[in-house]
Amino acid sequence: MSSAARKRLVTALLLAPAAVWLFLFLVLPFIAIVVFSLGERAPAGGYQPALTLAQYANLPARAAAFWNTLVLAPAGALACLLIAYPVAYYLAIKVLPQRRLLLVALIIIPFWTSLLIRTYAWMYILGGRGIPAFLELVGLPDVRLINTPGAVLLGIVYGYLPLMILPIYISLERLDRRLLEASADLGATPFSTFFSVTLRLSLPGMMTGFSLVLILLLGEYLIPTLLGGGKVFFIGNALVDLFLQSRNWPFGSAIAVALVGIAVVLLLAANRITARLSGARQVDLL
Amino acid sequence: MAGQQTLDIEFRGVSKRYGDVTAVHPTDFAVPKGAFIALLGPSGCGKTTCLRMIGGFEQPSSGQVLIGGADMADVPPYRRPVNMVFQHYALFPHFDVSANVAYGLRQVRPRLTSSEIARRTADALAMVQLAGFGARKVHELSGGQQQRVALARALVNRPSVLLLDEPLAALDKKLRTDMQIELQNLQRELGITFVLVTHDQEEALSMSDVVCVMNGGRIVQLGAPDEIYDRPADRFVAAFVGKTNFLDGTVLANANGAARLRLSNGMEVSARVSGDVSAGADVAVSLRPEALRLGAPAGGTGLSGIIRNRIFLGSTAEYAIEVPLLGTLLATADHSAAQSDLLRPGDPVAISFNPGAPLAFPASDNKTRQRESSHVQIVS
Amino acid sequence: MSKSYRDGLPLSAREFIDQLLRFRRGSISRRHFLGVTGLGVATAVLASELGLRPMPAYAAGELGDRLSIATWPNYHDPQTFIDFTTNTGVAVEVNVFGSNEEMLAKLQAGASGWSLFVPTNYTISTYRQLDLIDALDVSKLPNYDAAAQNKRFTAEGEVNGVLCAVPKNWGTTGFAVNTAKLTKPMTSWKDFFDTAMTTGSGRSMVHDYQLTTIGNALKYYGYSFNSLKPDELAKAEELLLKVKPHLFAISSDYQPAMRSGDAWLTMCWTNDGAQLHRDIPAIDYVLGKEGGEIWTDFYAIPKDAPNKAAAYALLNYLMDPKVAVKEHIANGAPSTDARVNALLPKDLLDNPILYPAADLLAPLEFGAAATLTDPARAELMARFKSA
Repeated sequence: MSSAARKRLVTALLLAPAAVWLFLFLVLPFIAIVVFSLGERAPAGGYQPALTLAQYANLPARAAAFWNTLVLAPAGALACLLIAYPVAYYLAIKVLPQRRLLLVALIIIPFWTSLLIRTYAWMYILGGRGIPAFLELVGLPDVRLINTPGAVLLGIVYGYLPLMILPIYISLERLDRRLLEASADLGATPFSTFFSVTLRLSLPGMMTGFSLVLILLLGEYLIPTLLGGGKVFFIGNALVDLFLQSRNWPFGSAIAVALVGIAVVLLLAANRITARLSGARQVDLL
Repeated sequence: MAGQQTLDIEFRGVSKRYGDVTAVHPTDFAVPKGAFIALLGPSGCGKTTCLRMIGGFEQPSSGQVLIGGADMADVPPYRRPVNMVFQHYALFPHFDVSANVAYGLRQVRPRLTSSEIARRTADALAMVQLAGFGARKVHELSGGQQQRVALARALVNRPSVLLLDEPLAALDKKLRTDMQIELQNLQRELGITFVLVTHDQEEALSMSDVVCVMNGGRIVQLGAPDEIYDRPADRFVAAFVGKTNFLDGTVLANANGAARLRLSNGMEVSARVSGDVSAGADVAVSLRPEALRLGAPAGGTGLSGIIRNRIFLGSTAEYAIEVPLLGTLLATADHSAAQSDLLRPGDPVAISFNPGAPLAFPASDNKTRQRESSHVQIVS
Repeated sequence: MSKSYRDGLPLSAREFIDQLLRFRRGSISRRHFLGVTGLGVATAVLASELGLRPMPAYAAGELGDRLSIATWPNYHDPQTFIDFTTNTGVAVEVNVFGSNEEMLAKLQAGASGWSLFVPTNYTISTYRQLDLIDALDVSKLPNYDAAAQNKRFTAEGEVNGVLCAVPKNWGTTGFAVNTAKLTKPMTSWKDFFDTAMTTGSGRSMVHDYQLTTIGNALKYYGYSFNSLKPDELAKAEELLLKVKPHLFAISSDYQPAMRSGDAWLTMCWTNDGAQLHRDIPAIDYVLGKEGGEIWTDFYAIPKDAPNKAAAYALLNYLMDPKVAVKEHIANGAPSTDARVNALLPKDLLDNPILYPAADLLAPLEFGAAATLTDPARAELMARFKSA
């Protein structure tokens, strides 16, 4: 066997388990969703076979949910990014190495508790018995924090911040410090070094975090439900409603397909931007 | 002594401590304009710390660093008129070759015109023989090419001093030799001061005008390469720079550095001795391998031994010779194919050397004779 | 001075423990809570593995070791299930839902895992038609006495003469109002929606449930609670969209918000109204004088129930009047069973929230089966929520 053929075979074997997994649990269900999306709602709800694009034609009926999602998800991801970057920068560059592990652990530990439970905690903190009660004590009665878009944004940032901090932290931690010295040596001010070296080289981490958070937010429904009172409606909520309330599987499937499409487009765009700005290169598996 | 204005770099009582650890003891040190100086020493000797204090990446714990006569105390790296070639080059992976080289030019204020930047970038690349490589990605280049890019990048802003931190360590031997010559040529052409940090004594000796040998955070000797090699200041320098044999001996008499010694096998020899040693003192006697001459065994009082090992090096051969009561000595002998003069293991051999060849150092040199500071001034 | 340092705290230690306990028994309708943590079943199973379980009255293994029930928020006396587990060794996992549509969707998708659930009257014929529920074997329910049931409430348990569901309790859908915050007396759905858009703005809730939210909006205009007429539904939608910006939340889980003071006005079921009023007397329960919903919740066994033996055992246990009476005392809903009414304390029987005056009951309508599956109502609700 030629060495190239062997290399291909080894690569294929290494990838096989993941490929089988993805096929069974991603590709097949996705095909099912596509098939559903071309069908019709059965009279009592559910799916009945048909071949129609009517569900797709009906997508504008959820325009508000799409709009909310496409505004709040990137806004949430951006807010996460803006808050996460200084934290990651501090952890990776400024903190004494012996303290770094502890601080990183503090960021990871909340992950050991379900996001749901942590979000419930926010319901109490923002609810009438929480912060508003303290505000009442200082003479600000009837302040409402829970079930507002602000509360949803807060929940999003709180819930997804670690997912943003870690990839940025890792990319900054791997950043060769001598590059920063080289930049300073060549006459760049710290400000200029940050923008032309640090930021550029941490772009892959930023993009990983941003994509990760964005994708998860596109499907988010829990936080809008719990902290938005079911009024701040994401496309995820529309999906839950279509499958769990109106039992309109074909329409729900069409929305799911559209959502996957949007996510793919956003990811490809993010990848392109990252590759262009950071000069990242592809690496052979073997 | 040279005047202040011709000094490029000056250390005045500079020291560096990290917590309880002293990396550099208070040091005075001056490099004249246009010199090629090598900071040579084993790892941890403080040479890189000194270089980084010049570059501004470390702040001295005490003392002053001056560049071109100006105190650098509050001057950050990006305002210092020096540039550095980093170990492993530290090229920007997200820029192509041109952008790496142009990086320093883009920082200049007021801004240079883009045509000026392009011209000077091209010049710099041509200078390191990389014309036409501007659009390449850094990771597409070989180690030697990356080295040249790092050099072009550091020189493009025409610094008054170029700092080189182990610049050749990552290259293979052949390439290293080529680059050594190239660096020397460049330094002569540009006439700017080069400060080279290396742990490789051959590199230091072959490239620089001045070698500064450091050990344990102190400068132990500063001088021309031949001076360092032929007249090492102490036992450490003798051992670190080049190969040598150390023999135990006792001083019989010492008159202004010309001493009479008795070696441990009872043989008496003349030697130059450095430092304060009087009769009766124990000394370590250094004999360079190439100072030993090998001949046919003869009777009498000369040294003799038996060849135990031979390493053939082409034009020369190295022999390990077992000498009774002295141990194993290393000798280098020229080889000429025509005469088929190679000796074989097991051959008996007589050893001789010139009377001036042995150098003696106080036996406890490095342990007890710690100077409070090293003060050296090169005269150009 | 008798003032305690605790007085100024937003949540006293006692209240906190209460909340925690309510959490545990699922009454805050944290329906994900036990599912996510797996705590409920895990602890019960662990206890049985360790032999910590008391001796059951049934032979080991006969009923299995667990059973899952789908029901409504704040709907059971937690002690009921604890006692059942003690007697049988079967751990009960409680899933809480906010709408009949959700229950139907789960059953339609299959593998809900429930052995027993609590559908509302108007949905039973659909379940039967979709072949999602079993005909009940009355021989396994000796505690059920058809003769003792009030047929006005229980007729829909039979589909085409086949008994498919037995009643848990009946009730009404009105609204709860915190009279300490909204002092103007309210008597109608018109009052409800108008207040929600004015003095109750930002503090009012409607159900995340098309039947009641759309139905009560229809009542605002005096239309039938069950209307499927497009022009009437359009009016209801217009009202809902107008009120939406003023809502605190769209949720069927309104007790926590009413208790914490975040919400002052909410659509409300009898049992929640009774519980809220019992604990916070300032919260009144009001039936809209235009009408609204009257309902009965039933127990039914899904066709694909994984543990039918335990389901019958639990169902029979719940049909025991002595057990049922505690359920009613706990959840505050009126009974359909004459045997239970005979055992209920007088203050419950006299409570106008449970047993409203005849003139208020008269205009109420039972939900109609068609509303459950009607795509227009489903889509209207979805548009309202996503607006």
